[in-house]
Amino acid sequence: MNDTLSRRDFLKLGAATAAAAAVGAMLPPKVAQAAYTAGLVNAAGDGYIPSMCEMCVWRCGVLAKIKDGRVVKLDGNPEHPHSRGNLCPRGQSGLMNTYDPDRVLTPLIRVGQRGEGKFRKASWEEALDLTASKMQAIKDTYGAEAMVFSSTHNLSQPQFENLLYGFGSPNYGTQRSLCFNAMITAFLLTYGIEEPSRNYKDVEFILMVGRNMMEAISTSETSELSHAIDRGAKLVYLDPRFTKTAAKAGEWIPIRPGTDSAFLLAMINVIVTNELGDCDFVKQYVVGCESLPAAMRSYTPAWAETITGVPAATIDRIAREFAAASHHAMVHPGWRTSNFVNSFQTERAIATLNAISGNVLTPGGCLSADVGAEGAGLGAPPQPPYPRLSALRLDGTPWKYPLVPLKLGVFQELRDAILTGEPYQAHGWFIARQNPILALPDRTKTLQAFEKMDFIATVDIILNDTAWFSDVVLPEASYLERFDPLLPVDGKAYIRQPVIEPQGEAKSALWIYKQLGERLGLGDYFQYEDEEDYLRQQLKPLSASLEEVKAQGYAEMPEEEKSDEITFNTPSGKIEIYSETLKNAGFSPWPTWEEPPAPAEGEFYLLTGKVAQHTQFGTQNNQLLHKYSDEPRLWMNARTAAGMGLADGDWVEITSPVGKAHTQLLATEAIRPDCVYLTPGYGHLSKGLTTAFGIGASDSALHVTYTDPISGGQALSQTFVKVSKA
Amino acid sequence: MTEITHHAYLFDAVRCIACRACMVACSTENNIEMDKTRIWQSGVGVKGEFPILQRATMVYHCMHCNHPDCLSACPVGAYSKRPDGPVEYDPKKCIGCRYCMNACPFGVPHFDYDKGLIEGAFIDKCTFCPQRIDVGQEPACVATCPTDALEYGDRDELLKIAHARIAAHPERYLDHVYGEFENGGTSYLILSHVPFSELGLPDLPETPVNEVSEDVMALTIPFALSWGAVLSAVAAGVQIANRRSAAKAKVTEPIEAKPEEQTK
Amino acid sequence: MKMNLTFHPRFRLPLLAWILLALMGAAFVIAMVRYAVGIGAISDLSNAYPWGWWISFDLFTGVAISSGGFLMAGLVYILGVEKYRPLLRPSVLTAFLGYIMVAVALLVDLGQPQRIWYMMIYWNHTSVLLEIGICVMSYLLVLAIEFAPVVFEGLRWKKLAHFFHKFVMPFVILGVVLSTLHQSSLGSLLLIQPTKLHPLWWTAILPIIFFVSAVAIGLAMILVESSLSSRYFKRGLEIHLLEKVAKAIPIVLATYLLLKFGELAWAGDLGYLFTSGVMSVLFWAEILLGVVLPLIWFSFKRMRQSPKALLAGAILLLLGMILNRFNVSWFAVKHSDPLTYVPTFMSNVTYIPTLPEVFLSLGIFSAGILAFGLAAKYLPVFEDEHSQAHAPGGD
Repeated sequence: MNDTLSRRDFLKLGAATAAAAAVGAMLPPKVAQAAYTAGLVNAAGDGYIPSMCEMCVWRCGVLAKIKDGRVVKLDGNPEHPHSRGNLCPRGQSGLMNTYDPDRVLTPLIRVGQRGEGKFRKASWEEALDLTASKMQAIKDTYGAEAMVFSSTHNLSQPQFENLLYGFGSPNYGTQRSLCFNAMITAFLLTYGIEEPSRNYKDVEFILMVGRNMMEAISTSETSELSHAIDRGAKLVYLDPRFTKTAAKAGEWIPIRPGTDSAFLLAMINVIVTNELGDCDFVKQYVVGCESLPAAMRSYTPAWAETITGVPAATIDRIAREFAAASHHAMVHPGWRTSNFVNSFQTERAIATLNAISGNVLTPGGCLSADVGAEGAGLGAPPQPPYPRLSALRLDGTPWKYPLVPLKLGVFQELRDAILTGEPYQAHGWFIARQNPILALPDRTKTLQAFEKMDFIATVDIILNDTAWFSDVVLPEASYLERFDPLLPVDGKAYIRQPVIEPQGEAKSALWIYKQLGERLGLGDYFQYEDEEDYLRQQLKPLSASLEEVKAQGYAEMPEEEKSDEITFNTPSGKIEIYSETLKNAGFSPWPTWEEPPAPAEGEFYLLTGKVAQHTQFGTQNNQLLHKYSDEPRLWMNARTAAGMGLADGDWVEITSPVGKAHTQLLATEAIRPDCVYLTPGYGHLSKGLTTAFGIGASDSALHVTYTDPISGGQALSQTFVKVSKA
Repeated sequence: MTEITHHAYLFDAVRCIACRACMVACSTENNIEMDKTRIWQSGVGVKGEFPILQRATMVYHCMHCNHPDCLSACPVGAYSKRPDGPVEYDPKKCIGCRYCMNACPFGVPHFDYDKGLIEGAFIDKCTFCPQRIDVGQEPACVATCPTDALEYGDRDELLKIAHARIAAHPERYLDHVYGEFENGGTSYLILSHVPFSELGLPDLPETPVNEVSEDVMALTIPFALSWGAVLSAVAAGVQIANRRSAAKAKVTEPIEAKPEEQTK
Repeated sequence: MKMNLTFHPRFRLPLLAWILLALMGAAFVIAMVRYAVGIGAISDLSNAYPWGWWISFDLFTGVAISSGGFLMAGLVYILGVEKYRPLLRPSVLTAFLGYIMVAVALLVDLGQPQRIWYMMIYWNHTSVLLEIGICVMSYLLVLAIEFAPVVFEGLRWKKLAHFFHKFVMPFVILGVVLSTLHQSSLGSLLLIQPTKLHPLWWTAILPIIFFVSAVAIGLAMILVESSLSSRYFKRGLEIHLLEKVAKAIPIVLATYLLLKFGELAWAGDLGYLFTSGVMSVLFWAEILLGVVLPLIWFSFKRMRQSPKALLAGAILLLLGMILNRFNVSWFAVKHSDPLTYVPTFMSNVTYIPTLPEVFLSLGIFSAGILAFGLAAKYLPVFEDEHSQAHAPGGD
């Protein structure tokens, strides 16, 4: 299974595929031919092909440099609004995901015990037949709901959802509750939109609450923030850690974890008590502004000081600076906002602060609620309506979590249902582009849930931990080898297209889902001949041909008509600082303070958070990123460490209520004394990852499952750990 | 962009977020082996005491000096300086002596310690991406930089930009552009908020470090010729003197002359 | 050992020769590994430490201790001091072998040893290393010519020996010029490191200082070599000649001391003498061992007339001066600061020579000693064509 290739010269790594290429050379090279016809590559096959990055969900435009039929370099596409010619380190290293010597290049069927990593190669025919027959058997025996489907945000997701809902299962696991449920539910309830877009053009004051923009890079937004700071905009940054964003901030406030909402509520208190907000705007568009001062009365800066540890004067000053910047101020909505069970309240406070500053929808305002839905304006293959779902969702949406949208779900709650068999027993799990073993908190519990499964199939490009524990692995073509549905951004529909032929027998998700669908008798949900046909059907409402789109990288979309009337997609049509919906569900209608638990004596907050070189747990095996990453260690405040007799580089044992992990210590000044930080996504179990295996410790082995009852978000910073010398 | 007569980089440590996209870009653009790099991050990192902290890191690669020390040191002329800035290295000439590595005050040239005779062990360093700049593209590291911490352009233009940036934000920058004069001027110009030594840059005079070495080398031929002439003259003089005394000795003690030399 | 088989079973070699052969064999294996998989496989050299043991020991020390050859050649041929002729041939042989050893070591240290001749065709006139390369290669040729008569005499090709002897003068002058150049240029080699070499050592007059110390080293080497070979080959010691050689040493060392401290004073670097920690200690160690003590030692006539004292004093001087060569080319050279580096393989800023590195040098050195022994045994090294022929030292 494991390739024993040297890791040296990545171009030489093609040895893995040399044999395949030799066979492929007999066939007409479709990609090269198409690119040649489009004038993108010359007769020798060298040139640039536009496509779209998939190293994170920001989806920058890339120009893939092709030489001798191989991708040799990725440049940011200057014409794409998300990249503007730049790429982050992950984007730059994307070709090493494709040329990873650990790529799975044929379907695999497990022959040993689960987790042993013993697989045999199989044909697509056999693997698909096996997967479909197992799924059908589970459906026939236990009902469609006994199959769990899970997948993380990606462009082929509409077809994944067709498979799941066509099959008839309500059990849909997404990454969202591990990521941005708090933000999305808060903004849906307040503004009627999932996530406001940010405008840095005229911004003068930015407050970021743990949005580590300089490390959790969204290329264009990181760039805009950086330029705003260069221009003189002030960034105030709340984070218990001195991140690279903290280093660029005008003011870094190492606030006590879990108390962001107290800080923000006190800011609201200062603004409304002193009438510093944009009154005209507030009165016209906001529900609850009259009663807001009363509702916020108790949240004084002095009160917040006792909770956050930030001096009242500082909070007061920052509130006034924010208010003074008026429409040119923003509190960034954040992104991975799954920190504490009160993260929803933090997001509500952020939504409120932005509302009373009047920056939303005001010309030149820094936030915009004017966000189109994904895929709007494009065509789609015809399909029948889904069968009616009668079974409850195993994750408790919405019967336990009434305010969590079905699209988001509460993924981490799924396992208890699997382990208890309540309200019914799940028997199979189909996973695509997702790695629940490392994604979900409490890895032990996830592995136990896996053991309960009769059948697990995983679609991935490498043997990540989840694939390692699966029964069937279906090899997907990497993002440089396949088509995905078009993605509209700012009035253009951008294409992801193969820039090289898929290696081995890897296939696109669109193909895999269709094949499975047809075998399951769901062919009506997959009415496209192949990937190109799918894209042609998408392009139907537009005037562009697929050939033009391939050559240009995008299709122009007709201008959307914009009405001057400002309305919000909420029950009242206004911004709801006061929410009846929340009240009716039994929660506080106002943004409110909820005290989260705190670590006991001798325990630390376990913090995680991105580094610029990695996306969750999917890129650690990328040799280029591995080369330029810091060793993943456990950060601890240098003085705290010294007090505990721990030195930099010492091996330590980290103990949480659900697990243990071992790693080396990084004694640093860059973290609060009551916190430790672990680079997430390491500590892989799969020996099929020759670069990543054996490196770092797993945060998911330590994280305890805590779910916010309102948003369903997992509280990832609420795990408290003990640290001792290993 | 104005026409570039002297290619140069401008690095701004205040803007750099140490994301290392430049490093990955360089690695792929130039097909660098997995255990090598032409570009790296240096600096003291986080400094200060919690919670009063600062970051000091920079992106380090060849400075493309105006008076390159590698070029001065290389015995076989494997280095050359393009009139428009880049310092180039020709592996076809290199004998692998590594004197350039000793000469470079920045520690830039790297050597293939892992290569035997068949593969060939060479020096590697930043080339300034001639394959890109010669067709009007930015070098790979610059092109990808999301925060414009790395910029590329004509040296004079970049110097103007750098000084203007300092003037616009004197509270943010040290009032010095590293590389404007250091080591006789470099084509990698650096702006910083912390002392340059904390970024890992050497404290260098405005004269290139190769100056004394080159001055001494210039004396070699004249010295060799005159020293040879002096020695020849001495040798000739001594021989004439010896012959005379030998002739005298021959007259007085014709038989004993020879064995004298081997007395013990 | 495997090597036994390659020799005739009845051919008896003394123990020392066996040890030398074993060391040579080890060095050969090490060199083959290096040629197969690279310098990194056998050494601790790195991008932070491009030069190490081989440069300090084989090049700097090797060249310095081979300086007896040009001194004797100059003394005998140019200054016509014929009475030193008995010391000439061993000195020339030592130098010849010494330079061959340097060249062999460099063939291991160079990344592209097969290209060493590029120095003859690609000239970069600003490179000190080019000057050294050309001088050393040319000087090897000169030494070969100077030593040729000995070989031809040994082979009893008298005409050829006489021919070489007759035209030796211009080559001697060339040899002295080349030696002066490269002995001093080894110092110049470090001129390009004003920011890396500690100010106690870096000075613009490094070449002059190097030349003067090379003279002192050469004189000491003549003493050592004569003493040792007289013991090993059971020959008489030319003590009256050696005494005069020893007498010159204090004068050279005094000059050296004057230059060294004069320059430090002039450059205003005297402060570093006591304030640079380990560097100050290293400086004083080399000055005391290599300069001050020998200067005093050889000022006493009694010391100069005792064979044992001559040897001891010379060894003292050599130790100090070799330390000087190590200091200048290694210990006092500051490499990259240990700041944080990414990627982490950039952070290797320590250097400790590996056993293979040292054994490679020992192997080459062994070959030199063996070659000297064989030459002394089979060639008229210890006689001059003017002297009566002894039987070449029998067993």
